Amino acid sequence: MVDLSVDLGNLHLQYPTLMGSGCYGSGEEFAPFVDLSRIGAVVLKSVTRQPRLGNPTPRLVHTPAGMLNAIGLQNPGIDWYLEHDVAKFADRPCVVIGSVAGFSVDDYAYTVEKLAARDEIKAIELNISCPNVASEGETFACDPNLTGKVVRAARAATGKTLIVKLSPNVTDIGAIAREAQAAGADALAVINTVRGMSIDVDLMRPRLGNVTGGLSGPAIRPIAVLAVYEVARAVTIPIVGQGGIETTRDAIEFFLAGASAVSIGTGNFTDPRIPMRIVDELAEFLRRRNVRSLKQIVGKANVGFANPYQYEGDEG
Amino acid sequence: MPTISSAPTVHTVRITDRRELAPGVVVLGFDAPEMVRVTRPGAFVMVIPPGGESAATALGIYEADGRRASVLFFVVGKRTQELAEMRVGDELGVVGPLGNGFSLDGLSDVAIVAGGVGIASVLLPAQALVASGARVRLYYGARSAELLVDRERFAREGCEVLVSTDDGSMGHSGYITDLLAQTDRRPDAILACGPTPMLRAVARVAAEMNVPAQLSLEETFACGVGGCWGCVVPLVGNSAQAPSFPPADRNGSDVVYARVCKEGPVFWAHELRW
Ligand SMILES: Cc1cc2nc3c(=O)[nH]c(=O)nc-3n(C[C@H](O)[C@H](O)[C@H](O)COP(=O)(O)O)c2cc1C
Ligand code: FES
Repeated sequence: MVDLSVDLGNLHLQYPTLMGSGCYGSGEEFAPFVDLSRIGAVVLKSVTRQPRLGNPTPRLVHTPAGMLNAIGLQNPGIDWYLEHDVAKFADRPCVVIGSVAGFSVDDYAYTVEKLAARDEIKAIELNISCPNVASEGETFACDPNLTGKVVRAARAATGKTLIVKLSPNVTDIGAIAREAQAAGADALAVINTVRGMSIDVDLMRPRLGNVTGGLSGPAIRPIAVLAVYEVARAVTIPIVGQGGIETTRDAIEFFLAGASAVSIGTGNFTDPRIPMRIVDELAEFLRRRNVRSLKQIVGKANVGFANPYQYEGDEG
Repeated sequence: MPTISSAPTVHTVRITDRRELAPGVVVLGFDAPEMVRVTRPGAFVMVIPPGGESAATALGIYEADGRRASVLFFVVGKRTQELAEMRVGDELGVVGPLGNGFSLDGLSDVAIVAGGVGIASVLLPAQALVASGARVRLYYGARSAELLVDRERFAREGCEVLVSTDDGSMGHSGYITDLLAQTDRRPDAILACGPTPMLRAVARVAAEMNVPAQLSLEETFACGVGGCWGCVVPLVGNSAQAPSFPPADRNGSDVVYARVCKEGPVFWAHELRW
């Protein structure tokens, strides 16, 4: 048996695949045709303190090898969410991770505390990197100081695993990552979408209602692999790599760059069978190379990177 | 609008037939008895790209009979090009049926309006209506005569067919909604599928005629199953189709965003706030 399990803080996952926030609903939408017990975890759509109507339409544009989205964090707000939605997550056959977004340190602390208090939610992802909301949406992930503040506040609000989601739209992602670790993050999600824009040449106006959006899919994969590579050299906590993963080999690139787990978002829009396929093929890939644990290949292509699992893997 | 009770599935199907109805207009038939059994007029599928392309393609279910279902599409980009190159015997992954359908109960005289590739979503409702004894008049518009694909098929199925073309090469020269507005026969319902400007015109004409219209909307999809909130359309908050998430009564606004892929794709024209 090849060991594909991964530990993010005190959260143990049997499989190293997470479904990206905002791409997978609450898992329910895909349950009719995906065996949720064979995916690692679902990261829920980000929730905020206040309800949000979201951005004007259109919200999606397909672009070469990817897509732009500008949903604008449409969600019912934490109070309604706790009352009506969260109980439904209890019977999901996979681990459910909550995602929290906000507009002030106080917002984040408030929402994290309330959501993390629920048993249905096994961990919290802190979305400090949404590029699609006016003003402060992404500011937190673009400033090491603010990253430190908001992560410390979230850390104080819960003892559950805290995954901090970083933005690629920065000059030095390693510096932000170090701040997040110092402030108490258990793991880092790398990366959120890359800012982008598309213009309709015939109508001579932006294609998205929000004008700008976040680029995802294979188009951003090399950007994401590099970000993981750099973050892995800056911190010792595990990384959840993401950005354009559609095949097992794509996922392995991220592990080799230094990710301990991967997340699949846009890939589910190409083929909902991708996450299950990656779990099966990953085990096969490692078995063929006589590798007993996925942990042993984490960071293997990252020169000078110290894999915290390396010894564990070698002993086992 | 009626919703599909049976859960959608990923079907791995084999292409059984392929017809090119006009240059760049293709019908792919496939063997999918399970899907045929649970599909309903107005439903759609997400077709998984067979080769290297990213993102599945949403296509209306054109035919569904016995073991065979089909999709009809125009080649407009790389993904539809890739599908157009499929051959008989090839395997294809198809997720569906998805979405709600047209409400056909109790209708006896129906106008169906189709523009361009919108024809792909109206054969099943036309067949169901004719089978139930309703009079069905199809208003069918396209850029040119050549692109009025399968129009004889609808006549054979028992529809009265009126056509228009943008270039005047067949039927009325101009918009298909001109013909709808000129009719002396007031139907008890209008069903429509086509480009958004046409649907807006149908909604206007339907309001003037005081006839309820059901519009099958076109929107860019990502997930196609209600998971991403990318395909939304503004809807009056008290619509039966308003999603329970998020709540309708917020911010003093009576408008909510409904997902075209989940709460739709068919909506009542008078409930849209677009
Ligand atoms: C339609 C859409 C909605 C998204 N919504 C969120 C969100 O609410 N919160 C969040 O943290 N990330 C969100 N993301 C980002 C994804 O979770 C993921 O990090 C990013 O798309 C890169 O991975 P991918 O290329 O596999 O999709 C969204 C992405 C897409 C495409
Ligand atoms: S396309 Fe994702 S919710 Fe409709």
